[in-house]
Amino acid sequence: MVLGLSKSTLRSIYKAIISIVLAFTVTSVLFLITGANPLIAYYYIFYGAFGDLNLTIETLVRTTPLILVSLGLAISFKCKVWNIGAEGQLYMGAMLGTITAVSLGNTPFTLAIAIIAAIIGGMAWAAVPALMKTKLGVNEVITTFLMNYVAINFVQWLLSFPFLSSDSLFPESASLPDAARLPMLLLPTRLHLGVIIALVVVFPIVYFLMTKTTFGYKLKAVGENPDAAKYGGINVNKTIFLALILSGALAGIAGFFEVSGIQYRMRASLSPGYGYTGIVIALLGANNPIGVALSSIFLAAIFNGSSTMSRALNQPQGVVDFIQGVLVIFVLGSEYIMRYLEKKGIVKL
Amino acid sequence: MIELVMLVSLFSATMWNSAPLILASLGETVVERGGILNLGIEGAMLMGAFSGFMGAYLTGNLWIGLLTSMIAGVITVLIFGFFVIRMNLDQVVSGLAINLLATGLCLYFFRLSFSEGQLPYLASLITPYPIPGLSQIPVIGDVLFNQSIFVYIGFIATPLIFYLIFKTSFGLRLRSIGEDPAIASYLGINVSRTRVLSLIIEGIFVGMAGGLLTISMFNTFDTRIVAARGFIAVSIVILGRWNPVGAFGGSLLFGFTAALSLWLSAFISGPGAVSISQLLSILPYVVTLLALLIGGRKVRGPAALGGPFAKE
Repeated sequence: MVLGLSKSTLRSIYKAIISIVLAFTVTSVLFLITGANPLIAYYYIFYGAFGDLNLTIETLVRTTPLILVSLGLAISFKCKVWNIGAEGQLYMGAMLGTITAVSLGNTPFTLAIAIIAAIIGGMAWAAVPALMKTKLGVNEVITTFLMNYVAINFVQWLLSFPFLSSDSLFPESASLPDAARLPMLLLPTRLHLGVIIALVVVFPIVYFLMTKTTFGYKLKAVGENPDAAKYGGINVNKTIFLALILSGALAGIAGFFEVSGIQYRMRASLSPGYGYTGIVIALLGANNPIGVALSSIFLAAIFNGSSTMSRALNQPQGVVDFIQGVLVIFVLGSEYIMRYLEKKGIVKL
Repeated sequence: MIELVMLVSLFSATMWNSAPLILASLGETVVERGGILNLGIEGAMLMGAFSGFMGAYLTGNLWIGLLTSMIAGVITVLIFGFFVIRMNLDQVVSGLAINLLATGLCLYFFRLSFSEGQLPYLASLITPYPIPGLSQIPVIGDVLFNQSIFVYIGFIATPLIFYLIFKTSFGLRLRSIGEDPAIASYLGINVSRTRVLSLIIEGIFVGMAGGLLTISMFNTFDTRIVAARGFIAVSIVILGRWNPVGAFGGSLLFGFTAALSLWLSAFISGPGAVSISQLLSILPYVVTLLALLIGGRKVRGPAALGGPFAKE
């Protein structure tokens, strides 16, 4: 026991560190090939993420959708239900929230009702694969992924035709009424109430749910051995269903917060792949809520920092995608290295 | 009144849209018969599409593009193989990781190769090659024998893969591994080697399926180009009951759906036409989901599909 952490938690931390170091090493090679000094590049990434108060807050703003999505995915991954449809759930939540907000107009309850609508949108979108999985045994990986394409194409259509704003040339919704916008907390930065809700309300709730409740225990039991869980009296299908719709709900909130905290209009380009980045984060954080929260901040920092770095060093955009792709491979590969280190006795747990 | 010419164009487009699905689902059928569920097929197709595009773009030779797409497919699938065979990691997670890796690499290297705003495209595409004689047959000739080589490869590969799986000793070994790798191993079958071979076969097919998107279907590259075709191919394998003939038939069904949505958009006119044709773009995905709803319920695949196997 180190710092009161369990053996498996420590192991996950070691693995996360190994994968981050390796991903950075490979990325350094890439920087060298493309003619950038890796140290300077990493300096700019760090500066772009935490260089001053405004940049730090921007990183937290970026963390918000990522932590919401990935906490949801951690719930679902914990019981080995591979929801890769967060992207679509995010879009459907954002869309339904926007439609609700725009049609309600300025009322004292607009924001609250729109958030509930976003939760329902995300949940409903996750409920389809959840029902197909629990009632018919259809593989959720395939269905959740296909639902992303239905969602994004459908949203694109909604924004191009039925909900096209009359004052826009592009496919986008009407502007959100003031009452549906998340209050700004620290002007001129973009710190909005959604950031606080995600970090101070949602994160502790998910932490509590996963670690201190019987539902959290059930998730773990179903994930480790569904047959044993069933034998032990756990309703496996119900657990799977709840896990999936909960992750859909969180993705839905993530989507609507992007609209009501930042964009103020629903657009087809709302998410640069948060639903997929969420998968990387959940895996890096080993489905542990604290690990997931830290990984969300880490990925958000890379996200913002690498775009600053790209501009400063004239590097192509998309370094974040590269790091993300390599990172997820090393998260898997770190298991191999860990096993090797344990076998050689270099690391003892 | 729908004219014959219009129907011929619909069915011809069906074959055309089926080609990537046929190739990908045949490859996936082979590995799933050996008990491996490769969801990284989406990423392998993307790598094939990107490498095919770059190969053809840089050399100006489409056939080199075809070659590089197949090589990229094999390499990608073998990385997946390293995770699931050598390291015995969860197959689903490994597949997802491969997809994320592929997206990251293709996006970055595409942007590295071409400056912002530059839209690189290939000067030519691999176009239909009418088979002399056969393509002259009315209706059928145009639909079946005036196609690109990828459709013909699909025609030929389907019976060959069927033969490989059901009539060769390799196929027998593969299927016994797919049912129970522990017993297969006990009987002296080299589980890892057989599975790696099956993955190489899949890599060639899947790489080609991706490559044809850039060197024969669209003449440019975009990271969204695969558009879930890999996952649709995995669905087709389930619906085709892990049989190459079923995979071929299933691919035709989905190729038809894709062709139909394009075909309908071309014939709709008047107010709302643009709206309807845009909405039709969700048709292939909805049909796949419905097909899984109807035909995907608790089907029994290879018994060991997706499960772990570690040789002592």
